[in-house]
Amino acid sequence: MYDILQALINGTFGWGWPDWLIYLISSLVVVTIILVVAPLQMLFFTYYERRVIARMQDRIGPNRVGPEGIWQPIADGVKMFTKEDIVPEAADRIVHFLAPCVVVAPTILMFAVVPWGPGMTPVDLPTSLLFFFAVSSISAVGLMMAGWASNNKFSLLGAMRAVAQMVSYEIPAVLSLIAIVMIVGSLSINSIIEYQAGLLISNRDLPGIPDLGLGWFVFTPVGFVAFIAFFIAALAEGERTPFDIPEADSEIVAGYMTEYSGMKFGLFYLAQYVLNFLLCAITAILFFGGWQGPGVNWLYAQAITPTNPDGNGLFNVLAGALGVFYFLLKTYIFFFVMVWLRGAFPRLRIDQLMDFGWKFLIPLTLANLFSAAVWVAFTRWGAAEGMLITVGWSPVLRWLAAFIITLAINIGVYLWLTQVYAASQAERRRVELEELSATL
Amino acid sequence: MEVVVQITFGVIAVFILVAAAMVVSVRNVIHAALWLIACFFGVGALYMLLEAEFLAVVQVLIYVGAVSVLILFAIMLTRQITGEGVRQLTNRWPVVLAIATLLFATVLAPTLINQQWNVPPAPPLGTPEPIAGPAELGRGFVNEFLIQFQVVGVLLTVALIGAIVIAYEERARRRKVLTLAEELELKRLREQTSPTVPAPVEAEPVVQESRSASER
Amino acid sequence: MMEPPFEIEIPRGRVIEVQRDDSRVRRGGGLLRGMAVIWKHWKESFRLNRSYSQIHGTFTIQYPEEKPRIPEAYRNMPILLYDDETGHELCTSCFQCERICPPQVIHMTQAKDPATGKPVPAVAEFIIEYDACMSCGFCAEVCPFDAIKMDHEFELSTDDHAQLTVHKAQLNRPISYYASIAPTMWAEVRESALKKLQGNIRRRPDVIGIAPHLTERIAARRAELAAQAAAPSPAAEPASPPAPSAPTEARKLTPEEKAAKLAAIRAAKAAQAGDGVTPSAEGGTPAEAPPADDKAARLAAIRAANAAKKAAATDAAPAATGEPTTPTPADDKAARLAAIRAANAAKRKQAADSVDTEEGS
Repeated sequence: MYDILQALINGTFGWGWPDWLIYLISSLVVVTIILVVAPLQMLFFTYYERRVIARMQDRIGPNRVGPEGIWQPIADGVKMFTKEDIVPEAADRIVHFLAPCVVVAPTILMFAVVPWGPGMTPVDLPTSLLFFFAVSSISAVGLMMAGWASNNKFSLLGAMRAVAQMVSYEIPAVLSLIAIVMIVGSLSINSIIEYQAGLLISNRDLPGIPDLGLGWFVFTPVGFVAFIAFFIAALAEGERTPFDIPEADSEIVAGYMTEYSGMKFGLFYLAQYVLNFLLCAITAILFFGGWQGPGVNWLYAQAITPTNPDGNGLFNVLAGALGVFYFLLKTYIFFFVMVWLRGAFPRLRIDQLMDFGWKFLIPLTLANLFSAAVWVAFTRWGAAEGMLITVGWSPVLRWLAAFIITLAINIGVYLWLTQVYAASQAERRRVELEELSATL
Repeated sequence: MEVVVQITFGVIAVFILVAAAMVVSVRNVIHAALWLIACFFGVGALYMLLEAEFLAVVQVLIYVGAVSVLILFAIMLTRQITGEGVRQLTNRWPVVLAIATLLFATVLAPTLINQQWNVPPAPPLGTPEPIAGPAELGRGFVNEFLIQFQVVGVLLTVALIGAIVIAYEERARRRKVLTLAEELELKRLREQTSPTVPAPVEAEPVVQESRSASER
Repeated sequence: MMEPPFEIEIPRGRVIEVQRDDSRVRRGGGLLRGMAVIWKHWKESFRLNRSYSQIHGTFTIQYPEEKPRIPEAYRNMPILLYDDETGHELCTSCFQCERICPPQVIHMTQAKDPATGKPVPAVAEFIIEYDACMSCGFCAEVCPFDAIKMDHEFELSTDDHAQLTVHKAQLNRPISYYASIAPTMWAEVRESALKKLQGNIRRRPDVIGIAPHLTERIAARRAELAAQAAAPSPAAEPASPPAPSAPTEARKLTPEEKAAKLAAIRAAKAAQAGDGVTPSAEGGTPAEAPPADDKAARLAAIRAANAAKKAAATDAAPAATGEPTTPTPADDKAARLAAIRAANAAKRKQAADSVDTEEGS
């Protein structure tokens, strides 16, 4: 954005504005775009989810407001705004007021590092991936504040559950990301996306692969396991259905949102759906190439970029449009999967959730970390790093060896872990039954 | 640009100091914890200002995202959260203030005296780059600071195992939480097996009362 | 738009066994199977499904535009029936429904003969509190005269609470309406219900028991009564077996004698009570008391045909042609129909001009 404004103001018009002014304007423009896009995504997601889940339950879903009910979220928004704001008598007023802000702010901040298309990252931090997850963990504090300030046992229970869940599932999420980070060798989301050029195989792993923007991580054994683990953890972080324990309405009313009404409740709702959007987006970015897709890289090569200042501005627009299209398509598909899971599975119990996270996902992602190390060693290391076996192998052979070994490791670990996990669960159930019969 | 950085630093520093002061002066323990989180944030911002992005992000991730949540958890398990009617200051607080100031001055005075208040000159060529980015940090951990890194790792593992050992109870000794139905069933079974034990005293009037209610 | 009604064919005898505590290790395959089920539901949901025996497809009925096809035995709120032809209500105010009603929302008063003050098997006012009715259908089950039935109408919402206390005028529905919403259920009880109704009508003096909104029907009945009242004077009362049968031909499913006696009594009563009440009909009707059955019917038919000239009531002709040839119960019915029609026409004619009636007589 800064580049475009710089080129437009100082280049085309020749006004010669100072750098800092252009920087300020570009930042403001970007922030405005994000602040407009985020609630719009939320509005669309509520509608999208309701329609899809309705179809899965043999219904139609909201179809009255506007054509096919497309204005339903706006009607809901109007309803939210006009509702009375109720603060419980015994609540801690300041904290009660601050909590929704603390929950919403990080989710909007997370947009700062999400690349929408080639060269369309609001802020290109070198540690953007870490930033994304660091900021997402702030909302746990907001949930805690909401639960405590409401002075309601359901709120507190919901907040406790939410925070315990988020803290537990951050670990497998981050561990599965570390595998990707190891392969790419960078914490920058942009370089992770750029790594995924190619066709089924990344052309960074195996140079010479034609670049169709399809060298996604999900096609490698390491990436696949990381994707599955990360997506499950993302479901837990976003409090989606198999893990919607914090707001289990059949148990604890609405969890930490119980005592909120009107637009404060709306803010929680907004935060939740924006977070879901971001989690789907980051899944698409990390494992499915983000804006990568057939044609984007070719178009972007013709466009005006810092490396290619003589390009054609039209290609900027085309590459951007195609990239955003691919990115949003993938994101929406992932949200469809989230809704699909919501339609298919019942809610877990809190102990099942903890068991699954700590005893299954974390070992799996740790093993995957090892696989990632093997992958890096086989595809990239040479004699200098002490990898003497692969000296003299052709890249294809090295890639093949890495693929087969990591596949074998991951499948073996998966089979073993499922066996152990199932056995431990069965044993636990048996012991509990025995205990019960002993006490009685 | 320098001025902007100075102003920003001033704002952040004041924010951190105010937050830190509030942590120790606020009566409500939860509010104190929240002020502590604000303080952590300020420190993170300070790192950002020093262009140590990685450290800033990690500060937020670990202190704001994890440590503060643990603190909040711990506080919520305590009593007297609101702290009403709790004295915050002892009678001899001026003495404490004097000692604290003295200690603080002992640490800070040499620094204040010896500091030239100059930005250090650019390091001569050949000095290693300051460790800031994740890649450099990682290399540092597995080369220069390998022993420290390993020791910390062992320490954390021991802490983890210790936590499990403390939290773990023998299954046989664990008091199982029974449901109401199970409890009643248990009671009934006990009464049956040991008829010498007199029936619970409080059970009797309850039964009578319910009967009389039904008769009415 | 709507395909044949909702048909439910539940395959019996298929037992699905769900095993709990299944210790087999599925390795995520169970989850995938669950997702496959949901995927199929999603995919199939774009097809409209109107059969409950299928589990896939969208069942939603777009309510205000589309209405569900309601099964015959569906019951919502009770209604009262009246006979299309005579306008008589089937209710005899036997209080059975009021007695059985669990929430006690049915209230009625029995009609009384204004002349004698004796109760008549008809209802004067009938009130159901729809707001407290629980649609149990006991009233319809218990009704010995099939007078109270359960309606299919469910759009009862109103912003006026008082509207939900429903009076007889709003409760009345013709039998044909009920026969249209529940044809087989009505067919089962039709014969006995109508038979009982005929018996009751004979015990109802004057216009008691006719649905009050059917003003024409009431006027016609009044005219008929007036004619009856006029009849005894020309024809001697003791020698009247053929004569009174003319007015009472309408309900002649009983032995002749009994009918004659009844008619005589009624005519006398009408003469003293109902005389002068309907002066407008008086002019045309005296001539309407010929001794013979067939003649009266034919006369009525002619009159009806006359009326049809103006009102285009074409179905009067078959009635006129059919009746003299076959003196069966069907004939009676046709005759009765013709008589009513004639009376109607007479009234209309009377109001319009007196020339036509003179021609007819």
